[in-house]
Amino acid sequence: MIASGAVASGAAGPVDAGPGALRALRALARSATARVVAIRLLSAVPVLWGVSFLTFILLNLLPGDAASSILGLNATPQELAALRAKLGLNEPFFTRYGHWLGGVLSGHLGASLISGQSVSSILSQRIPVTLELIGYAFVLSVAFAVPVAVLSARRPRGIFDRISIWLSMLGLATPNFVLAIVLILVLSVHLNLLPPIGYTSPSADLAGNLKFLLMPAISIAFGLFCAYNRLLRADIVEQLQREDYVVFARAKGIAPRRVLVRHATRNSLFGLITIVAVNAGTLIGATVIIEQIFALPGIGQELISAISQKDVPLVEGIVVVFAVVVVLANLVADLLYAVLDPRIRYGGRGA
Amino acid sequence: MSAADAPGPVLAPPPAGERSAGAPLLEVDGLRVTLVARGRQVHAVDGLSYRVAAGQTVAIIGESGSGKTVSSRAVMGLLPPSARVEGHVRFAGVDLVGLPERELRRRRAVDLAIVLQDPARSLDPTMRIGPQITEAIRAHLPLSRRAARERAIELLGRVRIPEPRRRYDDYPHQLSGGMRQRVVIAAALSCNPKLLIADEATTALDVTTQAQIMHLLVELQAELGMALVLISHDLGLAATYTDEVVVMYAGRTMEHAPTRELFHNVRSPYTKALLGAIPRLDRPPHDRLPVVQGRPPDLTRRMQGCPFHLRCPSAAERCAAERPPEVVDPPGHRFACFFPHGEGNLP
Repeated sequence: MIASGAVASGAAGPVDAGPGALRALRALARSATARVVAIRLLSAVPVLWGVSFLTFILLNLLPGDAASSILGLNATPQELAALRAKLGLNEPFFTRYGHWLGGVLSGHLGASLISGQSVSSILSQRIPVTLELIGYAFVLSVAFAVPVAVLSARRPRGIFDRISIWLSMLGLATPNFVLAIVLILVLSVHLNLLPPIGYTSPSADLAGNLKFLLMPAISIAFGLFCAYNRLLRADIVEQLQREDYVVFARAKGIAPRRVLVRHATRNSLFGLITIVAVNAGTLIGATVIIEQIFALPGIGQELISAISQKDVPLVEGIVVVFAVVVVLANLVADLLYAVLDPRIRYGGRGA
Repeated sequence: MSAADAPGPVLAPPPAGERSAGAPLLEVDGLRVTLVARGRQVHAVDGLSYRVAAGQTVAIIGESGSGKTVSSRAVMGLLPPSARVEGHVRFAGVDLVGLPERELRRRRAVDLAIVLQDPARSLDPTMRIGPQITEAIRAHLPLSRRAARERAIELLGRVRIPEPRRRYDDYPHQLSGGMRQRVVIAAALSCNPKLLIADEATTALDVTTQAQIMHLLVELQAELGMALVLISHDLGLAATYTDEVVVMYAGRTMEHAPTRELFHNVRSPYTKALLGAIPRLDRPPHDRLPVVQGRPPDLTRRMQGCPFHLRCPSAAERCAAERPPEVVDPPGHRFACFFPHGEGNLP
């Protein structure tokens, strides 16, 4: 892995003596973290370029263009040609891509072909809603997965574990949009507990905002919760049954809860972090559908209409932002490994 | 061996150690352990008895799969709940078999402690070494965080870790294998246990480090007056450091005698074969090393005869069909064989 290699070589130099925490901080600041971040961000550049280029190709392959979307089915060929010329759609593929890329490199994401609004202003309006939904779903999925996994692993095949397995199978087999509809039916239509659609901004009314986003967040989070829960539970059981440090911890006569939480679970978190990072893309993809169902003013809705209208600059802007989020999620995961695993943190000193 | 199996003088007192003093601290009596592996029962330990008194050292010797490690985990109560443990493990008169986990936990590190084979795996890689010692101290002794820390630093010094105060905050991966095993020993001894089980404690280390760790263990044993159970595949180790040796094979006790008596008067062909497999300097160079031919038997099936009969040079028909009873001959020297080597007093 790029990250651990970089940390190892970064920390191999002489490390000054000093109080443990301070020494660690200094070593981190001097090399490890800074290098990891720099390398990961640099390696993100070709990724982002590739994503934007592929998106451009795909949009180009789709039939129709923005001009026909704007003018509709009754447009005359003359009107279409005029609008195409005005929007620059008649230019060759690479010229158009180069034009867009040049704009991005100079800090301009361009303007929507349909509304003429600048892409960055659309993004700044819509992205916060989507990011909040993603964050909400992420927090729910992990916050429930960890304790449920720990409790299941405490007695493998016990009653709690069995219920958790059953629930997880159900959750993994249910598409999020089906769950969304079931939630609306049960919680809104029958029980009248939560509003089925709508949105208020968190700055205006935080409680109302969280209420509006709860069902969408649950719809996305439940499947992820099930996946994380099963994975973490299996990992903890594996640690408890196979690892000598668990035997030795028990041999020291410490409380079973401490063996379970501080030793087995702590050492199982690495697998969870990997899966959470890998699932960042799934999480974002899910918001597109879920925002649609709950009529949330997020970026997902914008993306769907932009694609169907061949609004190339807008699609590109959204896709690149999504790609940046995925890259950042993976970067955070790598940094978390370093925080949780001292072997990565300090690199080669000693053994 | 339970009384029912042995027509010989079973009720004779068990072999007394050379330094044996007073009542035994640990008394393992007819220990049987059945494990469940993939739905099949494995008779991992099939009748193990020994006693250790304070200050005494007993070795349990055997090759991989002989049941020696399982027996040590059974004594500590560390086997998975699916394991069936029968017989008695009396510690200071209290039978530990069947005691609730809470009771066992209270005794661990205080009464009985264990050092495992691989120091790289017995420490939690995500935890500093100091807290791995203090968590044991704090679980059993009424010490403040600060006092526990001081005690841990003192222990690290006692197991000869240089600069213990600075090393306290190290992670296991920052230490060498020998140093890690010292940390494990420090953690095991953190609450002054009366008995220490060293389960292949030196096997994963290089030869020089092995000797250092053994010396450390023996020294600490003398200092603390602990009983020591040395689990090993190494007869040489047993010859050097112990008062009494139990030789196990396929879960059964093959031979059990005071160390000096055992090496001067080997009775069991299995012990003989093990001794023959130790490489020696006086053999011609580039000669093939002698090995005990064949493999240990499948423990999922209960054996009728002697477990060693397929590999034994002196085996006869009888050995396959009949389980050899435990014989005590000369007094203090037990073995289970129809055709023993050496000499006894029996006709």
